[in-house]
Amino acid sequence: MINIQDIRETARDMLTKGEVRAVIGYRRGSRGMLAEPTFITSAEQADELVWDPTCFHNLSLYLVHDRKFLAHIRKNAEAPVAIVAKGCDARSIVVLMQEHYFKREDVYIIGVSCEGTGVLDERKLAKHLNGAQASNVAFDGGDFVFTTAEGEKRLPAREVMADRCLECRIPFPREHNIVFGEDKTGRQLEAPFAALTRFEAQGTGARWDFWSHHFDRCIRCFACRSVCPMCYCDECVVDSITFPVTTETTAEDKANRIRWIERSAVRSENITYLMTRAMHLAGRCTDCGECERACPVNVPIRLLNNKMEREAREQFGFEPGASIGGPSLVASFLDRDPGDFIR
Amino acid sequence: MPHNIYLPELARIAYIKDEVYGERAIKTFRVEPVDGELFEHACGQCAMLSIFGRGESMISIASSPLIREYKQFSIMRVGRVSSAFHDLAVGDVIGLRGPYGNSFPIDDWRGKNLYLIGGGCGLAPIWPVITTAVAQRANFKNITVFYGGRTSRDIMYRAELEKLRESIDVHLSIDKAEEGWDGYCGFVPAAVMDKDPVPDNAIAITCGPPIMIKFVIQNLNKLGFKDEQIYTTIENKMKCGLGKCGRCNVGKDYVCVKGPVYSWEELKSLPEEY
Amino acid sequence: MEKILDKKRIDDWIAALDNWDIQGPVLEDDIWSYQPVSGAVRLDHPNTKQSPKGLAFPQREIFFKFEQIKGEAPRLTQVVPDEQRHAVFGVRPCDGRGVPRMDLVFNDHVEDNYYQARRKNVAYVGLACNKPPSANCFCLSVGGSPVSTDGLDVQMTDLGDRYFVKAITETGKGLMAAAGKLFAEPSAADQKQVKQVHAEAVAYPQRAVRNVEEVPAKLKASFKSPLWQELAQACIGCGICTFLCPTCHCFDINDEVQSKAPLKGIRVRTWDNCQFPDFTMHSSGHNPRENTGARLRQRVAHKFQYFPENFGMPQCTGCGRCISECPVGIDIINVVNKVAENAA
Repeated sequence: MINIQDIRETARDMLTKGEVRAVIGYRRGSRGMLAEPTFITSAEQADELVWDPTCFHNLSLYLVHDRKFLAHIRKNAEAPVAIVAKGCDARSIVVLMQEHYFKREDVYIIGVSCEGTGVLDERKLAKHLNGAQASNVAFDGGDFVFTTAEGEKRLPAREVMADRCLECRIPFPREHNIVFGEDKTGRQLEAPFAALTRFEAQGTGARWDFWSHHFDRCIRCFACRSVCPMCYCDECVVDSITFPVTTETTAEDKANRIRWIERSAVRSENITYLMTRAMHLAGRCTDCGECERACPVNVPIRLLNNKMEREAREQFGFEPGASIGGPSLVASFLDRDPGDFIR
Repeated sequence: MPHNIYLPELARIAYIKDEVYGERAIKTFRVEPVDGELFEHACGQCAMLSIFGRGESMISIASSPLIREYKQFSIMRVGRVSSAFHDLAVGDVIGLRGPYGNSFPIDDWRGKNLYLIGGGCGLAPIWPVITTAVAQRANFKNITVFYGGRTSRDIMYRAELEKLRESIDVHLSIDKAEEGWDGYCGFVPAAVMDKDPVPDNAIAITCGPPIMIKFVIQNLNKLGFKDEQIYTTIENKMKCGLGKCGRCNVGKDYVCVKGPVYSWEELKSLPEEY
Repeated sequence: MEKILDKKRIDDWIAALDNWDIQGPVLEDDIWSYQPVSGAVRLDHPNTKQSPKGLAFPQREIFFKFEQIKGEAPRLTQVVPDEQRHAVFGVRPCDGRGVPRMDLVFNDHVEDNYYQARRKNVAYVGLACNKPPSANCFCLSVGGSPVSTDGLDVQMTDLGDRYFVKAITETGKGLMAAAGKLFAEPSAADQKQVKQVHAEAVAYPQRAVRNVEEVPAKLKASFKSPLWQELAQACIGCGICTFLCPTCHCFDINDEVQSKAPLKGIRVRTWDNCQFPDFTMHSSGHNPRENTGARLRQRVAHKFQYFPENFGMPQCTGCGRCISECPVGIDIINVVNKVAENAA
């Protein structure tokens, strides 16, 4: 079990000594029991930090934001940033480093093991609580313990955990500077890619109907892209109607830009958006599941990204975020790579 | 359905002139109605121009409201729609809707001295004021134009400005000295100071790059111009022109409806969000 | 007109509404949304994920088609909304109050013919909230109420095995008159019960924006506050808050080309969002709202300062969607209260 005081002490100590310029972590939000991202810069704020099953967010996104901000103001980082990272989050950080988005020494990883569990799925919880509201939740071994108006409610974690956590193979941040909690890699809550495997057991017609339905439902709020640490491109190919321009961008650049998709949230455009995004995540997505969690209309985006992840794994033995020194999937090849994967 | 506020009228390009060449080229276009008459407008108002397949862009109407046969637009090549404009030929048909926004209260300025201070493409929004005032010369006292470009090649409406010298004072400037240039060398705000305009019974209008506007206003204040004697225009990204699409607002005002013309006194009361 | 409707007869009422497309809350893919319903309507929803604003202001509206053969003048063909009437059942009071706010925007200055063409064909049949459907409801603090009839044509109140149904507008009376026989006169006990239910609804504790009438001045004084960037630090710049909002009306207009030669395409209005980084970006690259702080300030000030300055009421109706659905915890109640509290 992780003692939150240990995380707070670590943060406090580093901020006091000036070893990091900020700690990105989780704090209690203003919306009931839910945690939210926090960016603390002074030792006194360390007591804000929390660690519980509502720490959904993949905070490595904010390392990307920080990097962009520094580039915008044309400054170099004066000190590293510390970040609280779960297994999947730490793997995202590794991918970002593989892609040279920042260097290892720019980041101090405060790893947290998900141990036997993972994060909560609010939708699953809602069904269990039947309209009641929980004001707090805590880990307790294999259970989540909720505080509600009607008293304490204990639920087995696996009944209300996010699918991504059930299927997670390595719920432990192997890349870290310091780590809290036991490494429970090897636990078997659900088989890897279980949801995908179930989905793929259906026939082509059923799968097409399923996706047509969901592609029609996307409202193109771009939350999946915005919440994804891997979607860091300044100019996104799937949103080329509007894109950042600088004083250096020429009129030709702007005029000749190809509109791969239109703004209309209709099936054809939504397919191009979501499929292109999935392709661009192949070998990069660490299945943190934030896209699917953020989606306000419950488009099962993970299924698309999982598919790419499994292809990378089965065809090329590639595991995104496994090691900083290793090559990235699309920037490397091996003699034994199959040649028949493009049909 | 009642009048479709988003449906443009068709207009034919009757005249194209290259004003400024280079990366940020400026061309002047005159457009005539394809059928019937175009809308009437007032000095300082804008119109939404369309190139079908490319989109729309809000541009100030550079011709005087006294001219009914055509509307004039001077367009800098900066983006998707403006670049497409630069590829047009005489006879091509575009879309046009408007007029949008408020206007310079030129009728209130009868009997006053007018100082019209422009830089770069910023001559276009004040051009209707200049040409209307000159056409109604007797209604105004002294009319003085200050206009500057980075180099002599960046001066737009060159021939028209030269011709205006017959009836009003025109002071042209360029940023750095060039051989054969007999006008002022230096930035527009300094060019204004150089002539020492007198604030008594005067109105000053300034349009151009934001940094120029800022220093022109500072200098005018130094000369004794009160905030309510100084006018400028602001621009923000616009899509509808009708106060609905929600992106051109500065505080509570949609620039497409309440602007683009503001006295410095009014503008100072709004948040700096332009 | 006040009547009683047996809950079991609601489907008969709907069946009697010939020529109306009936929209009701449907639970699908784990979310509630308004969808066409035929036969049966369920009104046991908390609130829908998206507000019903799309019926009058759809996410995509085609203005006209254009067609041009090279060397010829373009031909424009207007696209006009159809005349289908829609009756939306189960509209919560906050979403009802969204309707007059949208009306103000689209009728101000000049009337938006597309909005108006659709709006006149939509009837809103509301359902009072006997208790707050979400933990983030705050209608009472923004001038609303769980039993507000603002913007509704009919208000229904759940009285257990029957509904108390009240016509608010002439359209509402018409909807009820279409199935007059189904409705009974309310008894004195019904009247008493409805009063009781409404009183309890209003008494339920809710989250609250504090002193909403003082907020515009406080926000005005806080334009340059560093709090905006601090509160917006986690913002990811997505469109959830605005797309789900019952009163957000910002849109984009684009040409969508379907064929290059001959040129064929459509001019389309689509929802847009002030939290997208490039929403206000000029063609030159200059952006008047360059960071998440400036953009959060715009969203909050629009609802709580600019709209009150222009129309005399907050634009926010307290539905709480932007709070519940924000993936990173940005909470408009918290933001308004904090900024107001720290105002100079």
